Amino acid sequence: MSEVRMVASFADEEQCVHTIERLLETRLRPRVFSPIPSEKINEALYEGRSHVRGWVLSGGIFGALSGFAITLGTSYEWGLNAGGKPIASIPAYLIIVFELMILCGGIAGVLGFLTNARVPAMEPIEGYSPHFSGDRFGVMVNCEESDSARIEALFKDAGAADVSREPLPATTVSPGHGGH
Amino acid sequence: MSSNSESTSRASAPGTHEPIQLSLGSWTTIAVVLLVVGAAGFFLALWMGLGARAWQAYLVNLLFWMSIAQGGVVVSTAFYLSQGRWAGPAQYRLAEMFVGFIPLGFLLFWGMWLGRAAIFPWVLHPVADKAMWLNAPFLFARDGAGLLLMTVLSLWFVSASRREAVREWAKTPNNIALPPNIIRRLSPALALSYAFVYSLLAFDLIMSLSPEWRSTLFGAWFFATAFWSGITAMALTAVILQAVFGDRVVFFSRRVQHDLGKMVFAFSIFWVYLFFAQYLVIWYGDIPAETFFVVRRSIMPWVPLSIAMLTLVWGLPFFVLLGRRPKRTPKILGTIALLGLIGIFVEDYVLIVPSLSPKVIPYGWVEIAVTAGFLGAFALCAFPGLRRVVAASSAPFTPAGEME
Repeated sequence: MSEVRMVASFADEEQCVHTIERLLETRLRPRVFSPIPSEKINEALYEGRSHVRGWVLSGGIFGALSGFAITLGTSYEWGLNAGGKPIASIPAYLIIVFELMILCGGIAGVLGFLTNARVPAMEPIEGYSPHFSGDRFGVMVNCEESDSARIEALFKDAGAADVSREPLPATTVSPGHGGH
Repeated sequence: MSSNSESTSRASAPGTHEPIQLSLGSWTTIAVVLLVVGAAGFFLALWMGLGARAWQAYLVNLLFWMSIAQGGVVVSTAFYLSQGRWAGPAQYRLAEMFVGFIPLGFLLFWGMWLGRAAIFPWVLHPVADKAMWLNAPFLFARDGAGLLLMTVLSLWFVSASRREAVREWAKTPNNIALPPNIIRRLSPALALSYAFVYSLLAFDLIMSLSPEWRSTLFGAWFFATAFWSGITAMALTAVILQAVFGDRVVFFSRRVQHDLGKMVFAFSIFWVYLFFAQYLVIWYGDIPAETFFVVRRSIMPWVPLSIAMLTLVWGLPFFVLLGRRPKRTPKILGTIALLGLIGIFVEDYVLIVPSLSPKVIPYGWVEIAVTAGFLGAFALCAFPGLRRVVAASSAPFTPAGEME
């Protein structure tokens, strides 16, 4: 069986969203290019929450624990009495704990974003065209040769400005969930 | 509450129905009863020789309800200064809802002149090196002038905010037009005056009750607390209105609830930030002249109330409203807002009363009656504003970001 890559470009965000919904109904998962951040496209494509939240929480917890470890560890290591305060002066240490929590949470969030977004992309992204960074929305889907006419009709019904078709080598893997 | 609107409820975008005309007949009766009970209880307490408790409760309630009223108006100035139009005219009417209590609060402030000896310890026992500042005539003159300024500015500002041109500006979020000139002049004037006057009130009416103690940030903490109490009262009102009127009001929108929840969450963090900034310095400096104020509130019998204050004003709002979903769940947001307001009341109580009654927590029918009286008065002052909120929130408007 041979596969083809179908890429449609749209001038309108609503047309793009409508196309995504139609493709998902046919159990085809598209790759979408958008020149702008679009909450509507995100809602159409994704169910559930971003995993970056977990990265931020983990980083924050790690940072807070590190803050306690650094402050309490060094205090007990040196055992200095400052003005009659306890060796472990928790109220003062809360500031360091808080700042490290924010720092590590932020760094973890950035790393999580880069990981989940697969940035930087070291290889050219299949289906991308420079006008998807300008004034066009792009929807790409890999499908069987026999389905290509139906998919092309779906794109044109949705208002695609143009539709391109490119045969794929026999070993190509469909985009799946990644790189949207 | 009952609605005179003949619109039927239908599943559609919020605020697309005919404006609702609110009737508050039975609630007005309840408020009047509370007011009468409160006034009677207050005078009965004075007659029975419980004047100290009556005046303490009077001061606590005056500051608590004034904070909500004034804080709400300042929230409206903040909305104008940041050009926020995420809920249209309704968010402004909601913030300004309690403005009616401000003139009454100004009058009630002067009532404290009669109880000045019971409230301020330095009246009967002057502090020699602070006598120029802490004397009754000067205190009442400067605080009275400040409150008069706030009253005039607040009423002027709210009157301007209700003008046709300003309401039209608030209805159109999808442009970068600035608010009308009158608002652009009054908002910063009111906000700056608020910071100054409410800092002064905090120093004079709370900090002076322990005349040996001082904290530079105390004034800022007090007006930040008042700002948060305004936001919290707004959130509670919005939750109640959406429960009563459903999708006929813009507060039914989960996005609007989310915005209110975010403000409740964020400014409770600001509150604890300012609290901790004072606490840490006092704790680490360990200077007796500073620590006695905190110690008195950290030991029995006051420590449970102090812990309750921290929990209700910061602990619960922070941990419960951390996630997205709780902020968009009316019952959760409303519960946290109600508990937050109780926490602010407890905070005012913990700040004021231990300075006057360090070993005993005075609580009984006197405090309940006086609080009921102030609640009734506040409600009566807020009802006209509530009608405007309901009318504005039921007028056609699609919140920013909602699908049309």
